[in-house]
Amino acid sequence: MSPETAATAPREFKTDTLFINLGPQHPSTHGVLRIGLTIEGEVITKAVPDVGYLHRGTSKLAEVRGYHHCVVLTDRWDYVSAMPNNLVFCLAAEKILGLKVPPRADAIRVAMCELNRLASHLLFFGTYGIDTGAITPFLYAFREREMILDLFEMVCGARLTYNYIRLGGVMVDVTEDWIAKCREFLEYFKPRLDEYDTLLSFNPIFMARTQGIGCISKEVAVNWGLSGANLRGSGVNYDVRKADPYCGYDQYQFDIPLGKTGSCWDRYYCRVSELRQSVRIVEQALDKLPAGPFMATGVAKVPKPQPGESYAHVEASRGDLGIYLVADGQASPYRMHVKAPSFINLAILQELLAGRKVADVIAVLGSIDIVLGEVDR
Amino acid sequence: MGIILEKLPGITKGMPGGELFLTTADNIIDYARKTSLWPMTFGLACCAIEMMASYASRFDFDRFGVIPRPSPRQADVMIVAGTVCKKMAEPILEIYHQMPEPRFVISMGSCANCGGPYYDSYSVLKGVDRIVPVDVYIAGCPPRPEALQYAVVKLQEKLQKMRTIAIAGASLQQEHGSRDILSSTPNNEPNLPPEAGPRIEIG
Amino acid sequence: MTQEDLLSKLAAKLPHLEKAAAPVKDYLTMRMGSADDLIPSAKVLKDDLGFDYLEMISATDWLGAVKPEGYIRNPNPNVFLAEGATPQSIPTATPGYNYRPMFGVLWLFGNIPERARLFLRLEIARENARVPSLTGLFKSADWQERELYDLMGIRFEGHPNLIKILTPEFTQGHPLRKDYVHIKDKYDE
Repeated sequence: MSPETAATAPREFKTDTLFINLGPQHPSTHGVLRIGLTIEGEVITKAVPDVGYLHRGTSKLAEVRGYHHCVVLTDRWDYVSAMPNNLVFCLAAEKILGLKVPPRADAIRVAMCELNRLASHLLFFGTYGIDTGAITPFLYAFREREMILDLFEMVCGARLTYNYIRLGGVMVDVTEDWIAKCREFLEYFKPRLDEYDTLLSFNPIFMARTQGIGCISKEVAVNWGLSGANLRGSGVNYDVRKADPYCGYDQYQFDIPLGKTGSCWDRYYCRVSELRQSVRIVEQALDKLPAGPFMATGVAKVPKPQPGESYAHVEASRGDLGIYLVADGQASPYRMHVKAPSFINLAILQELLAGRKVADVIAVLGSIDIVLGEVDR
Repeated sequence: MGIILEKLPGITKGMPGGELFLTTADNIIDYARKTSLWPMTFGLACCAIEMMASYASRFDFDRFGVIPRPSPRQADVMIVAGTVCKKMAEPILEIYHQMPEPRFVISMGSCANCGGPYYDSYSVLKGVDRIVPVDVYIAGCPPRPEALQYAVVKLQEKLQKMRTIAIAGASLQQEHGSRDILSSTPNNEPNLPPEAGPRIEIG
Repeated sequence: MTQEDLLSKLAAKLPHLEKAAAPVKDYLTMRMGSADDLIPSAKVLKDDLGFDYLEMISATDWLGAVKPEGYIRNPNPNVFLAEGATPQSIPTATPGYNYRPMFGVLWLFGNIPERARLFLRLEIARENARVPSLTGLFKSADWQERELYDLMGIRFEGHPNLIKILTPEFTQGHPLRKDYVHIKDKYDE
């Protein structure tokens, strides 16, 4: 009997797991996110997101800043949609200070937040296209986004970090000129939404890459505490604008788009459908913009509220953004806790990626739509 | 091809037939370098959104020959766009060392310049120039896309004066420039101006 | 569901919870006596009362005013000084305020169909602070508890992976504690 040679010996098929480091510098992680992926062949067995690369310690800084200064810090959490960030801090601080916001300021706030939602979802639309291999939507989305940023620039001079919503109202009043410009933009924007649908939403390649991928069921979504379009994509009807109305959102007519299967495409299409609803809300806000002051009277330069605790939350572009504020009678908040939707939404990634193919990582990550500034704060 | 001969500095004259021209090697190297500055897509924070806006429709960075590259190995310039946190400092240094020479750094925004609104935070590095040498600083929080484009133009002006061959290789600053605070031996050599280096007389 | 309805339901199901004296404004806030009550209460809230959406976990250090040594540079509070006002030095403590060496831990539960929201509060001693982890019931507690452990130094017992999440490895101490003193690391001057 001849000895076994390498050619005749039964081949033992041996596979090994491989560790892949995705990030923190990666073009598709939307910032500085690191994911440690353990893969076996093409299948991910373990995914460990590592955050903190943009941890700036704003909660600690808020404890020595005045209440007006804290609004500046809020701009830079979710820098893609800074207006809701300004708003949520002001709502929490106004509760504690007992300020009454005039109705005109409320309507302006609603219009600004919804315009900002448009800008934020447009950025998502563009970058998600890039994530799934379509470059063109990015250029289309930025074309419209620049127009929204022009509107913001008209009212407050900044393109990204507005610091426009202040304690007791807004920084400056909107002018007739601005309202006309805004209406002009909305009229321009409405037909573009159908263009987006033909460009990306119902593109067969895009649908093949995102439908049925990264499905989150209703129960799992609620258990992981998701919010925003990630929760609604799974079919859970939860929107803070309806569930816990603020700024008079209960007087506006709008629908909440819901997904069915909770796949990447459902989450994506929830956001694209929200664009239409936001346009509706802005139009209503402009139509019924009440006359009157845009800022409450009696807002102190250095507010020193009575000791107390307050919680306010708004439907920001990425979900349910909340602020828990504690005052001890000093000029700075005693404690500011940010309930950041991106941070909580991102945690599900470890469960969502396990068992999927490597090629799906970016599609799943992009559909969750995180902003690292808000994840790490 | 878009090359305007009059704009190409140091050109002596076009040769008969229009197929050849005379210039110094430095001129042509510097010209090539400055007109194809490839930055790395490296977004840290808010400024990265403005950086994306500069690549996108309205501002169109491609006009400057600026095309984003996803890998540091293919990039010439690193745009540090956003807050540099201490946890991120080490990856930035690593990415900087992965870039091929000559490499340049644009520090975009107040946070990357000096810490910005987080000047007293426990977890923010007070300026990216503490770990890598910076060529151009841009003020603003965040700077507008036009400001970033102006910074690129300023960097191009700097590149036009590099004269790599005339000063025989990279300058000391280019070679030892990175103040690598993680390395054990600090770099105490003085950074000499390029004029003081050895020169090779050409022609 | 109004706050009164919820309160009567809670009194029937969870009699050991009592209404907090200083509530979070506009929200129903209940106080727990001891940390052992947390998991049974959360279970009843989730299974019987429909509060299956854990929105937020937060904590407050009630020790007193924050220390300036916790910041790299001394923060300047006098940027927008009102006319005639005397310059102030932050941080200061309010005289007569009930500072105490305790951590106040706060859970926010939500009931999505009923549109109800409930704050649950627990005070624990600052020394060797330990709270049971809710990760077994709510997955959303995972990262939020890690964040509080990292920044506040509260140990959540039973958490499967209680490690640092936001601060880098070399940051010592828990920055959001009021007595945090920043120890200079290699990136500081």
